[in-house]
This record gives sequence, structure tokens and C-alpha cells, in this order.
Amino acid sequence: MTQDTKAEQDLGLDADLMAYVDGHLPPEKMAEIEARLAHEPEARAATARWRHHDNLIRQMAQTADDLPANMRIAALERELAAKLQARKRRALLMGPTLGRIAASVLIFTAGWGAHGYFGSASQMAGAEYPQFVSATVIGHQAIQQASVQQAEFQPDEMDAAMDWISAQMQRKIDSPKLERLGYAVESARLLATDSGPLAIFHYRDGEGKRVTVSIAPHSPDQADYKLRVVRLENDNMAYWTDAGLDYSVIGDVNPGQITTLAAAVRD
Amino acid sequence: MSLKAEVTLHTTSLRRYALVLTRDPTAADDLVQETLLKAIDKADTWQPGTNLRPWLFRIMHNTHVSELRRAKTRSDAAPDLPEPVVPDSQHTQLELKQVLQALDQLPEAQRKPIILIALRELSYAEAARVLDVPLGTFMSRLGRGREALRRIVSGLGKGKLAVLKTKGNI
Repeated sequence: MTQDTKAEQDLGLDADLMAYVDGHLPPEKMAEIEARLAHEPEARAATARWRHHDNLIRQMAQTADDLPANMRIAALERELAAKLQARKRRALLMGPTLGRIAASVLIFTAGWGAHGYFGSASQMAGAEYPQFVSATVIGHQAIQQASVQQAEFQPDEMDAAMDWISAQMQRKIDSPKLERLGYAVESARLLATDSGPLAIFHYRDGEGKRVTVSIAPHSPDQADYKLRVVRLENDNMAYWTDAGLDYSVIGDVNPGQITTLAAAVRD
Repeated sequence: MSLKAEVTLHTTSLRRYALVLTRDPTAADDLVQETLLKAIDKADTWQPGTNLRPWLFRIMHNTHVSELRRAKTRSDAAPDLPEPVVPDSQHTQLELKQVLQALDQLPEAQRKPIILIALRELSYAEAARVLDVPLGTFMSRLGRGREALRRIVSGLGKGKLAVLKTKGNI
């Protein structure tokens, strides 16, 4: 091995010098290395050049920012973001906590009384939500998982749906009035739970954004929920109790829009 | 930050990396597009909650390696890289040209660690994962590569072959 190569290897394999050049050292260690470099001209020259070469390469890389916008790349970005979003939702549903629930497809049959189940779902979301909120979140994200539903209605069957839901809940239930906000109902489902029926309405606006509303009888041994808006993953959600019914609205909309949607449902 | 905004941010980084790898804006955008197409195809392999950036860089790295292999199959000649896209300053331009030419003399295993770290987009550990090598190997390649680059640019070395032959395990 030549002397040159030996020196090259010694400097190149010095982890402290690497970390110094890349700014990965804590301040006290930085000062220590700088003191060392004051006495080691070869190491000082080497680190200065490494940093300079890095700067040149980075400067060249940043000229990419001035390249013309590429429409094909922009379209692929959107497609990738949508795919990753779907992946995220599936992971949420099938993750370690919710996977226990989804695996048995008993999300809704576990229902309102399954405090442990929905308690876990709520904790995973990082907040203390009522049980019905977790059920709605899952219902919103798992529109296809309807194996435990009692009935499903198409848009042209909404009158029959409201009659059926009202009969099951033993009180008059009005459909959420989101049509006036530009949403069209896609389906309504009535789910059987241990604690009673849970109605879920799926809506979509002109841009394809989906909003889900749930209605269920409020448990008499629980205090009413005041209107609350919360952020969950990429969706915003509002929930409240009104006249003996628990409501929740969830969708990929901003907090102002979710409040407007909640107001339309309450109206 | 929304996932869409995150993807856009990382695509900017990918475009920078691609430009240094290819030295040609059109080829860089082609590489970015190919990377995004593969990422769409592999979306189910991304683990939500983990950093998206190293995942995308790794896909770009693998895409680039495949393209280099294909190019090598087409022509076994030395790489014929286009003239680099460089900043305006004439002095910087000359200096950069010199550095890029020296970079081209380094083996791929050393060149990529240098570029990845120079971009300041990834930590050492993330960059090692992108290149699918242990952290120790990555650090060794980065250090040896930087020093070899310096010596080539400064005219201290005896050229690519002399430097590499004495290097042993790169």
C-alpha cells in the first residue's frame, strides 16, 4: 500500500471527519474536531474539499428546480398519492389494533356495547371518542364491508330506507339533507349491533369526495355529546347528540366544511 | 402535510437526484417518471408511518441500476454522459465540470453515496438502506469515495485505475 493510499484511507475512514463535514455532530464535538483540524493541515484540507465538492454537487442538483414543470410527472404524483392514501386506509383497517376487529368482520356486530373494541380503535386514533364515532370511521373507510348489515338501500330507495330505519329505531328518522350542499346519496345501510341499530349514509359530491353520516339511538345511560369537530387521519369528523340520537359526519373536507355538513344534518 | 404534498416534495428531491445521476434534464425526467410508475405499482409495499422519501429514493436507485444494465447491454462502451447542466458562474461551471468528471471516474458503489449525502435529503442510515448496504459499508464507501474524488480533482492521485487498484474492497 502506498503512503498516499494509506493517508487517503485514514482520512476517508474517519467517522468523526465525515460527521463533521455533514453537520451531524453535537456542538461540543464540533468544537473538538475544529480544534483537532487546527493541528492537522491534511485533514483540514480534506474536509474543506469534501464539503466544497458536496456543495457543488448539491448546487447542480438544485438546478432541477428550475426545469420546466412536467405534466406527466404531476399526473403520476397524483396517482401515487391516491394509491398511497388507499394503502394507508387499508393499513388503518388491517393494522395490529383494528386488524383484530376487521379479521372477524364483527366491527358492527360488536357494536355500541363493545367498549373494549371501540376503545382500542379510539386509542389508536389518538383521542377519546365515543364508540359510535369509531364505528362510523370504519364504516366510512370500509364501504364494501357490509357483511353484518341488516339492509342496504340504493339512492332510488331512500323513502323505503327511511321507513325501514325509522321502524328499526322505533322513532322517526329523517335522512341527512346533504343534497342541498351538492352531495348525492350513494347508499344507506342499516347495521345490527348489540346495542341497537346503526344507520350509515354514504354521499359523494360532484368531485367524487365521499362523506359518511351515521345515526343511532343515544344510550340513555350516557351524557349527551356536544358538537365536536376532530381531525382523524386525513378526514375531519363531527359528532354530537341531538334529541336522543347520536350523529356523526366524516369526510375528507376541511373543518369549516365539516361544520357546514353537520349543520345540514342537524337542520 | 397531506400525502399529495409530501409526494410532490419528494418528487422535487428525486428530480434533483436524477439530474445528478443522468446530467440531462430529459433523461432525469424520464427516470423520475419511471420511478413514480414503479412506486405506483409497488404502493402496497410502502409501510404507512414510515418515511416515504427513502422508499422512493430506493425505487429510483433500483430503476437507475436497471437502466444502466440495459444501457450496458446495448453498448459496452464507456459511459457517454451528456454535458452537465451547471450553474451560470463560469468559474463554478469549470469547477463543477471537473468534479463531475472526477465523479465519473469513481466506481458506482462510491459515486452514489457521495451524491446521496451531498443532496442532504437523507440520513446516513436512510441512504444506506436506499443502496441496500450495511451502514458500515456505506460509511466506508462514502469516505473512500470522497477522498478518492478529492485526490483526483486535486491531481494528487494517479488516475482512476491507480486509485482503485490499491483500494481493495470498495
